[in-house]
Amino acid sequence: MALLRQKDNGAFSYLYDHYAGALHGVVKQIVTDSELANDVVQEVFINIWKKIDSYDESKGRLFTWMLNIARNASIDKTRSKSFQQSARQQTLSDNDMLTYTVRPGMDDYGLKKVLFKLKDEQRMLIELSYYQGFTHDQIAKALNIPLGTVKTRIRSALIQLRTLLT
Amino acid sequence: MNVKEYISSGVVESYVLGLATDAEQQEFEAACRQYPEVLQARLRFEQALETQLLQNADAPPAGLKKKIDDSIKNFEAADIQTFSKPHATPVRRMGFWKIVAAASVAALIGVLIWSVTLNNTNQQLRDENLALQKDVNQSAAQLAEMKEDAQRMQRPGVKLAAMQGTTNAPGALATVYWDTTSTDVYMMINNLPQPASDKQYQLWALINNQPVDLGVFEVKQQQLLVKMKNVQNAQAFAVTLERKGGSPVPTMSALYVVGKL
Repeated sequence: MALLRQKDNGAFSYLYDHYAGALHGVVKQIVTDSELANDVVQEVFINIWKKIDSYDESKGRLFTWMLNIARNASIDKTRSKSFQQSARQQTLSDNDMLTYTVRPGMDDYGLKKVLFKLKDEQRMLIELSYYQGFTHDQIAKALNIPLGTVKTRIRSALIQLRTLLT
Repeated sequence: MNVKEYISSGVVESYVLGLATDAEQQEFEAACRQYPEVLQARLRFEQALETQLLQNADAPPAGLKKKIDDSIKNFEAADIQTFSKPHATPVRRMGFWKIVAAASVAALIGVLIWSVTLNNTNQQLRDENLALQKDVNQSAAQLAEMKEDAQRMQRPGVKLAAMQGTTNAPGALATVYWDTTSTDVYMMINNLPQPASDKQYQLWALINNQPVDLGVFEVKQQQLLVKMKNVQNAQAFAVTLERKGGSPVPTMSALYVVGKL
């Protein structure tokens, strides 16, 4: 960790070798396009290198921190102009619902594999909040269910996710 | 706080996956400091997540690491440059003129809107003014007429005949002012029912019990006095209701008011 903070090339190289695959897997699940996914992974590692000083060990493991950088960068990419052909930006459309309940492929990796074991309804909520980055509020409005219900359902899905993981 | 319940509420996963709100994050971080069990639960989930994702790693293309290294080196070089060569910004001037231009356009639009609004208001006020002027003129003319009427009644030699209602109209009342000097006859309608549209009231002077036609009149509110035909002599006056245009002889059954001088 100290070596990383000093921006030691060797330490950073180890970080890449060890974690690039796992992060790439997550990025690909969000961005889907492999070219763009590579771009995002590049951005993610540059950001890790730039922001390593702001990493706070008391708040989580290094991998968790990197995972969140990767997730945010991927969601940003899906919302950026280069990714969007049509305006699908800030609002959830019915289309999103369809895409994320019946999207083929990509489901046999990492978290998604675990997600697949959840009920459809729970999976969709995790998809929307985790992979799409929509706020609970946006999801509640789009699905026309109370905010409290969205929160509870996501929580219960997350609890199940833990039992599936551990 | 029930730590067990808190841990199993899903907050751990929500926090680790970056789905917690700011408030939830702060609460969770405080809980981690305070309760070792919460911290342990967090670390366990983080570890499980990491293991799961590492098992399902999907290696990026081989060239990517080199690309990243290169861009990081570029950043390092750029960092050194920015530190050693802080350059002045000639950007300000452009910004200033843009602001001036934008402000001018905004001001111009403002002035245009203002002048259109002003013009509309102006036109509206002018119309209102004209209407008021007309009203005032009418009222002034009416008042002048009434003043004149009032003077007529007060002239010396003016005789007055108050005509009371007959059985046809018990509450009716009309007054005749007869100027013995000019022989002018004026009628004041104090209270007469509005006649049907095909009928008109007619005033008669009675000279030695012979009725003399003094003309027909309308029942109008705004008029104080109605000028009738002149008469040289009279002992009494009467009003009958006749066909429109009047009758050569009074219909005695339609006598409305009658009064002596």
